[in-house]
Amino acid sequence: MNLSYRIYYVFLRNLISYKRFIFTTFLVSLGQPFFYLITFGIGMGAYMGAFGGKSYLYFLVPGVLISSVMMSSAFECMYGTFVKMIHEHLYDSLIATPVSAEDSIAGDIAWGTFRGLVSGVLMLVVAIMMGVFPVSIVNLILLLILMVFVGVLFASLSMIVTAFAPNFDFFSYYSELVLTPMLFFSGVFFPLDKFPAWMKVFAQFMPLTHAVNISRAIFLGTYSRELILNFLILFVMEVIAFYAGIKLMKRRLIK
Amino acid sequence: MIGLQSTTPLIAAKNLVKRFGIVTAVDDVSFDIMEGECFGFLGPNGAGKTSTVKMIHCVSPVTSGELMVNGMPANVNNRKIKKMIGLVPQEITLDIDLTVIENLMVFAYFFDIPRKEAKKRIDELLEFVELNNKRDTKIDELSTGMKRRLLIARALLNKPNLIIADEPTTGLDPQARHLIWQRLRQLKRQGVTLILTTQYMEEAEQLCDRIVVMNKGKILKEGEPLKLVESEIGREVVEIRISSDEDEKLIRALSDMSCGHERVGDTLYFYCRDGHSLMKKVVELDIHNVLNRPASLEDVFLKLTGRSLLE
Repeated sequence: MNLSYRIYYVFLRNLISYKRFIFTTFLVSLGQPFFYLITFGIGMGAYMGAFGGKSYLYFLVPGVLISSVMMSSAFECMYGTFVKMIHEHLYDSLIATPVSAEDSIAGDIAWGTFRGLVSGVLMLVVAIMMGVFPVSIVNLILLLILMVFVGVLFASLSMIVTAFAPNFDFFSYYSELVLTPMLFFSGVFFPLDKFPAWMKVFAQFMPLTHAVNISRAIFLGTYSRELILNFLILFVMEVIAFYAGIKLMKRRLIK
Repeated sequence: MIGLQSTTPLIAAKNLVKRFGIVTAVDDVSFDIMEGECFGFLGPNGAGKTSTVKMIHCVSPVTSGELMVNGMPANVNNRKIKKMIGLVPQEITLDIDLTVIENLMVFAYFFDIPRKEAKKRIDELLEFVELNNKRDTKIDELSTGMKRRLLIARALLNKPNLIIADEPTTGLDPQARHLIWQRLRQLKRQGVTLILTTQYMEEAEQLCDRIVVMNKGKILKEGEPLKLVESEIGREVVEIRISSDEDEKLIRALSDMSCGHERVGDTLYFYCRDGHSLMKKVVELDIHNVLNRPASLEDVFLKLTGRSLLE
């Protein structure tokens, strides 16, 4: 792993180019999760009654927050990275400078993470405007840290996909067959308690399940032993995904 | 640096090989490039020029053999080598999301150039490539010639002592091409070592002190452009467009002129040290459709790599 502080330069390059798209991306990253909040939160929430003494929105918001982080960082490191690699030849010019291939890819993972963080924060703002707050300021800060942590994971996982992608269509397999189903199997919209046993086991293999558990615990301030396990599983997945994403992308960039 | 003739080469390649899977792109080549010279790699598409050059600037690993750049072994992880090289790539790899000035500024970061110094250099370089009135223009709005010039400015940001220009004038009109040649010659005068790959023979004649002709991954010939023309072809070429039925008769009639000959398609070529006497004979024989011209690098190139179309 030939990583250096130059990761920051790659991040900075993305930030400079972001100026031009900032408002459209704000709209896009708000769109889907916002509709989830309105339709599920307010529409369905009316039938759900109270969840542990609080309104359904308190159940929904921490899940939707973290899944919008997932979607944004995952998409940035698929479509965004692919365009830069294939259409703009950005990596070709990067690796001819003292910025290594590893720096470039890690820089893009950092960028994807940032995009995830922005989406998560936007959702948090919307939630707060709807009157749904995290339990304390400390918990709010912890939530932001979690968003970064989860962003790195999903940005790295997308790098693995991008390393093999021959074209754009390839990404729809990942987003339609992995990301979207994950949204419904990870306890974002309803608790997993009523699932049959095999589905519960299945859900444990999905990183989003663990991320949502942690997010909800932080948001509501209800902690349990199980969280340590959630965190460890995410951490292991993250290390593997980061390493594999960089290695596989490097194999594609350097021939 | 000017006029300094160093005896140790800046770049030394020994039995260099590059393979992509089962394809051998560079097949056991050896060459030395001296400091301050302009060294050209000539060859048709797929000859192995770009693959060779990519190993030199450390973006493509060496399969086998030895490649030393400035006394260091070329290696994908060698940031020191990359720091001293300026690359003018074959494809236009400008950052289309950014403006002209942002493109250069971001590249200055990549080379750890402090902001203030970067700004100064960017001003100088935009002047040098005549783009100072395009500072805030988006890349899409530049002509191909401007994009190529910006690539040169970008390659010079880190004050490289080695510039690698990979087909730098492909797709340019004559004005733009001549401007780029002038700039590259100017850099050479400042003592910069220049490596050029090209398919344009005129470009090699204009710029290179020494060339190698490559084909199918091998180096076929090495030398100074004019000397290569003289030793491989002679001084003059006589082209006669005539049906091949006449070849035997004609070659016999011109046999005492000590010229080499070659038939390609509809043309019979004669390669001569002095075409004068041959021309006289041709006029005597009353043959029309004849062209007598000086021999060029293009003749060497075609002789070595074959006149037929390479697929």
